[in-house]
Amino acid sequence: MIRKYIALLRMKYIEMLAYRLATFVWMTGAITQPLITMFVWMNIHPEESESFLFYFMAVIFVERMTSAWDVWELDREIREGTFSNLLLRPVHPIHWAIAENIVYKWLFAVILAPVWLVGAVFWPPLRPHMTAGQAVLFLAAVVLGAALRFLLSYSCGLLAFWVTKVAAVYGVIDVISLFLSGRIAPLEMLPPALREWSEWLPFRYMISFPIEIATGAADGGELARGFAVAVGWMAVFVAGVQWLWKAGMRKNQAVGG
Amino acid sequence: MIRVSHLHKSFRVHRREAGWLEAVRHLWRRDYRVIEAVKDVSFTIEKGEIVGFLGPNGAGKTTTMKMLAGLLHPTSGEITVGGFVPFEQKPEFKKMMSLVMGQKSQLIWDIPPMETFLVNKAIYDIDDRSFRRTLEELTELLDLAPLLDKPTRSLSLGQRMRCELAAALLHRPHVLFLDEPTIGLDVHTQENVRRFIVDYNREHETTILLTSHYMGDVAALCDRVMIINYGRLIYDGELSVLTEKLAPYKRLEVRFSRLPNVDWSEYGEVAEIEEGTIVLRVARETAAETAARLLERFDVRDINIEDPPLEEVIARAFWEEHV
Repeated sequence: MIRKYIALLRMKYIEMLAYRLATFVWMTGAITQPLITMFVWMNIHPEESESFLFYFMAVIFVERMTSAWDVWELDREIREGTFSNLLLRPVHPIHWAIAENIVYKWLFAVILAPVWLVGAVFWPPLRPHMTAGQAVLFLAAVVLGAALRFLLSYSCGLLAFWVTKVAAVYGVIDVISLFLSGRIAPLEMLPPALREWSEWLPFRYMISFPIEIATGAADGGELARGFAVAVGWMAVFVAGVQWLWKAGMRKNQAVGG
Repeated sequence: MIRVSHLHKSFRVHRREAGWLEAVRHLWRRDYRVIEAVKDVSFTIEKGEIVGFLGPNGAGKTTTMKMLAGLLHPTSGEITVGGFVPFEQKPEFKKMMSLVMGQKSQLIWDIPPMETFLVNKAIYDIDDRSFRRTLEELTELLDLAPLLDKPTRSLSLGQRMRCELAAALLHRPHVLFLDEPTIGLDVHTQENVRRFIVDYNREHETTILLTSHYMGDVAALCDRVMIINYGRLIYDGELSVLTEKLAPYKRLEVRFSRLPNVDWSEYGEVAEIEEGTIVLRVARETAAETAARLLERFDVRDINIEDPPLEEVIARAFWEEHV
């Protein structure tokens, strides 16, 4: 399996380089929304500008590291019939998607980490105050967040076996996630009821939770509970993908040809 | 190698009339109908056979092929390919077969074909030596050398098809499903692909099931054909037997200085008529005699007696309920 992954990663890397412009646009385009949101909040609460600066830098980083586009890919591949190409090969199609995620996120990390580092040299508010232990937990939470977002996106994508243009369904989920994951504002600014909800729903663990670890907002019992909830959702999504896969295969019409 | 028994496949599809009012109504009320794409199809193909699978568009050829390749789940019936049940999608099954679709590329679109080959090498567990040897052989047979490092999207259809075949054969499948492998190719490339398939089959005893709308493919490659229409298998047997059965006539192409104005039914069935030339269908046993009569009675410039083209035979088969 390692040999297969190396081949898939290599191929996805070459493919990524073939789409230089698109890759650059995905990278920079995704930064625009958190940046604008940050300026809005800094304008509303100028006294907290520094903490917003750190928070949204972290949002940019975590959002890119956990972003998932698989629903659009699956939607297109299943609708146009190109998914059959992957099904014919003796490796589960999900591994192609995982390899692609790893390659792109590796590129995002290689660009964003130095940007954050250089930024931190010039703007002290961008400097993280993390112990080594916190840093490890932060990275673990980012990986968990990436897995959660990937699995949610992939399971929505599998709905394309039943529904055409399934990306619209994901669009609704994405809007909910915009608020409940902390991309629009730190979760502590949400109304208490919504905040309570956010702790039990999976969205917080896709973006906000790693940032809470970095800022020290989540520690001790809160941290353990957060990881437990995230792992619980992970199990739910894994089971969901497995079930949808099995049912989808019976439903697959392998269109075209 | 391939056993199919009482295979059925039906699809439930939306039915919608044309027009925007209908489109609005369709938003909350959907009519479905069940389309039976494949009905009670049974056949067996032995190791090393090349079988032509023919039928008009929408007859169920590709659906059957997709079930054989494990892409579609049969509604009922049984399939085994090399001892595997295709829709279980076992990796071992995928390693022993390949499906090439002329209308769908399996090469990775934006990078050179060699990259697809390397990915296939890893995921089909092909060792370095076999990979090198097979690739060398395929490169020579299909003249791939100048194509391997160009992005797939910039290859011409014929060039791409040659690479598709190579990608499908790298892991040396025992069973090959070819769905219109020569579609859109020029005559010369069609000829090359056909020759390659024949050689490959002879050398490796690969079992091949082929669909094509080009009768040239069928005539060059297949001794046995299966004809499917409206989802039912209507003929399974030798191609020569089919021709005799369905075309017990010869074509008489007669060119006159001036086309006489007579009742041609006395001589045969008129197949084509145009300025100065007429094509008649005449029973095999009376063809020579009819030709002699025509030569005697009219001012004939040229006369030609031949077997009906395979296209015509097959087209006839498509119209028959059972052959």
